[in-house]
Amino acid sequence: MGKVYTGFGYWDVGAWILFFAVAAFYILWLRSQGRSDYKKGTAQDEIYWSGNEVPEDGADLTVPASSAYWGFRKALEPFYKGLLGMHTGLPADVVGYYVLTVAVLAVFVLLV
Amino acid sequence: MIGNAPFFVVGVLFLMGLVSLFLSKNLIKIAIAISIIGSAVNIFLVSLGYRAGGTIPVHFLAGEGSTMVLPTPQAMTLTAIVIALATTALLLSLIMLVWRHYGTLDIDEIRRLRG
Amino acid sequence: MNWNEHFPALLLIIPLFGAFLAPVCSLGGKMARNILLVAASFLTLVVAFLLWRSVLANGIQYYVMGGENFRLALPSGMALPVRIILEVDAFSAFMALCGSIAAFAGALFSVNYMNRFSGQSRFTSLYLLLATGMLGMMITGDLFNFFIFIEISSIASFGLIAFWRDKPSAIEASLKYTLVSQVGSMLILIAAGSLYGKYNALNMAAIGSSLTMGTMEKLALVFLVGSLAMKCGAFPMHMWLPDAYAEAPTGVTCLLVAVSQASLYGLMRVCFSIYGVAMGSTFVPWMIIIFGLASMFFGVSMAVVQHDIKRLMGYHSVSQVGYMLLGLGVGLLVLGDARGMADFGFTAIKGGVFHVFNYTMYKALLFLTAGALYYATGKKDLNEMGGLARRMPYTTFMFVIAAAAISGLPPFNGFVSKLLIYESSFAVHPSLAVVALLTSVLTLASFVKVFQTAFLGPEKNNLLHVQEVPPAMLLGMVVLTAAILGATLFPSWTLSNLVEPAARALVDQSGYIGAIVGGGM
Repeated sequence: MGKVYTGFGYWDVGAWILFFAVAAFYILWLRSQGRSDYKKGTAQDEIYWSGNEVPEDGADLTVPASSAYWGFRKALEPFYKGLLGMHTGLPADVVGYYVLTVAVLAVFVLLV
Repeated sequence: MIGNAPFFVVGVLFLMGLVSLFLSKNLIKIAIAISIIGSAVNIFLVSLGYRAGGTIPVHFLAGEGSTMVLPTPQAMTLTAIVIALATTALLLSLIMLVWRHYGTLDIDEIRRLRG
Repeated sequence: MNWNEHFPALLLIIPLFGAFLAPVCSLGGKMARNILLVAASFLTLVVAFLLWRSVLANGIQYYVMGGENFRLALPSGMALPVRIILEVDAFSAFMALCGSIAAFAGALFSVNYMNRFSGQSRFTSLYLLLATGMLGMMITGDLFNFFIFIEISSIASFGLIAFWRDKPSAIEASLKYTLVSQVGSMLILIAAGSLYGKYNALNMAAIGSSLTMGTMEKLALVFLVGSLAMKCGAFPMHMWLPDAYAEAPTGVTCLLVAVSQASLYGLMRVCFSIYGVAMGSTFVPWMIIIFGLASMFFGVSMAVVQHDIKRLMGYHSVSQVGYMLLGLGVGLLVLGDARGMADFGFTAIKGGVFHVFNYTMYKALLFLTAGALYYATGKKDLNEMGGLARRMPYTTFMFVIAAAAISGLPPFNGFVSKLLIYESSFAVHPSLAVVALLTSVLTLASFVKVFQTAFLGPEKNNLLHVQEVPPAMLLGMVVLTAAILGATLFPSWTLSNLVEPAARALVDQSGYIGAIVGGGM
């Protein structure tokens, strides 16, 4: 184990593992405080889904991955519009960005 | 000045290849453009190996000259030609498969992977 | 006979021999071929480990091909090393070790993964050829040979990316990579040729010993840096990378991660060992830093919105390469400045080098878990997955470890290398560290998304048949998980034994040059 000195501070994995052990112990303790005397097979045992009936197939109640972070995408719409517009997927663009970058760098390095 | 003529040719050939790489829409022409770039680089390597007054780097039949050129650029060029051959063959076979799957050789149509 | 001296050659011979043995071995059936694939990559790993040990103990090793004596770097009466030289210092040996671990894990994984497909003798052959090209790039001491090995690995990877040639997208990805990579290789060859024309040498050490900056050298530097940055997927030139990584068979993607590290190695070798302090201006270091920042940020912001699992991870590769470029670029910035180097530069290089190790391990593992999901469910789209944690507990466990490591969650190893990079780049300018931190947050966000949509949530009816993947695939993943956990639990051991010698070797330009052209020319 031991410490890793970064020149500005240090990193000690042992302390963190200790922290995780304490946190895990606390979480497990908290969980053990839950009641185990609920009535099985009654309404207490059912999943609560905003008062609606829970669908049979799990596919009907999951949020698909392409809808995740919708708000984030919406808020950064102009940024993503530009970024996705850059990824046209055209082979000529793939080569073009590379040649352009090298050309720009070559011009700059000769000027500097 | 005339000694630099090969390098001028290399530059022109390289730019020709690069320009046709971007201007042509047909994949076969793009493969040709890449071959032209490869040839430009090969000419560059060969002309690097030229030394005025040098003879071939062979022990026998080398002729009168006492100075030999270093054979490294020739060896490099041969290797580069072999590699260019392999990649051209591979590129053409990929183009063949593109034709089979997409039914077109237009480079602008090959963009199912994007975003 | 002392075998230690022959390790550099053996490292290349074993996978190369295996590649050409594969079609013969395939005549003996599936079993023989699989044994060949695993045995060749395992032997390579063993040799890479022994080579690394021997380099740490004895200093830089070199091996002369085609001379009357393999120790004879300089022919008598000549001032320049004209022969084909393999030169292995601690950094090369470190990279070869990382690369061969990934190659071994990928090979183990492919044994089961490729079982359903035909054409496996070609797969085995190309896989080992790709490993040869990668290792060759890492240990060669000759600029033209570097080009040869880059082409060997490129050609093998074109074939492997298009391995499922009945899939249009695989052909398309391979075509794009071929086009951009061919132009890139030609620029590398022009750079090698112009350095040869100027210094009459192709040997990296010999060029480095007599290099003075001029127009031709500047152009050669830009061509090399630009092309190699393209090969490892720096931002404006990264578009081929997610396509290629997503479409290649998963065992290959695992190896492609290591191959991109070989390009990064080449970039660093050119900047630190050939040009080094002769570079003069700070333009190129800043360029590398800016490449790093752009790759980090834009790569991860593209990854957040992806929903194809391997494509998402491909964009993460772009952003992770940015960390290494940032760390090593900061180190390059203060290469000639002894005080800056002692203050933060060496820490940055250590962070960059450690991140190479971490990235190779956890990224390879993430791709393998994505492949395991594909093998088990037949789907690559995250929208169609869900609730797989109950069905595939081991895969889930290893995915969580890799995802935590890549997001830089303490206590995993990704955090340690990122911490070294944050703190040292902060000393250059705070905004560098801010971008790096923001990237880390977004990385975590997108992996939370993957974990939540693929592994958690209710089970879907069309995924009820899913089973845990076969043992050889799990074993491939376990190898990488063990490497991650080892680096996590023993960070100071890893840093002082694995990372620091490599970082020191990278900075030590005169040592690299002196081993070949000895005592100055």
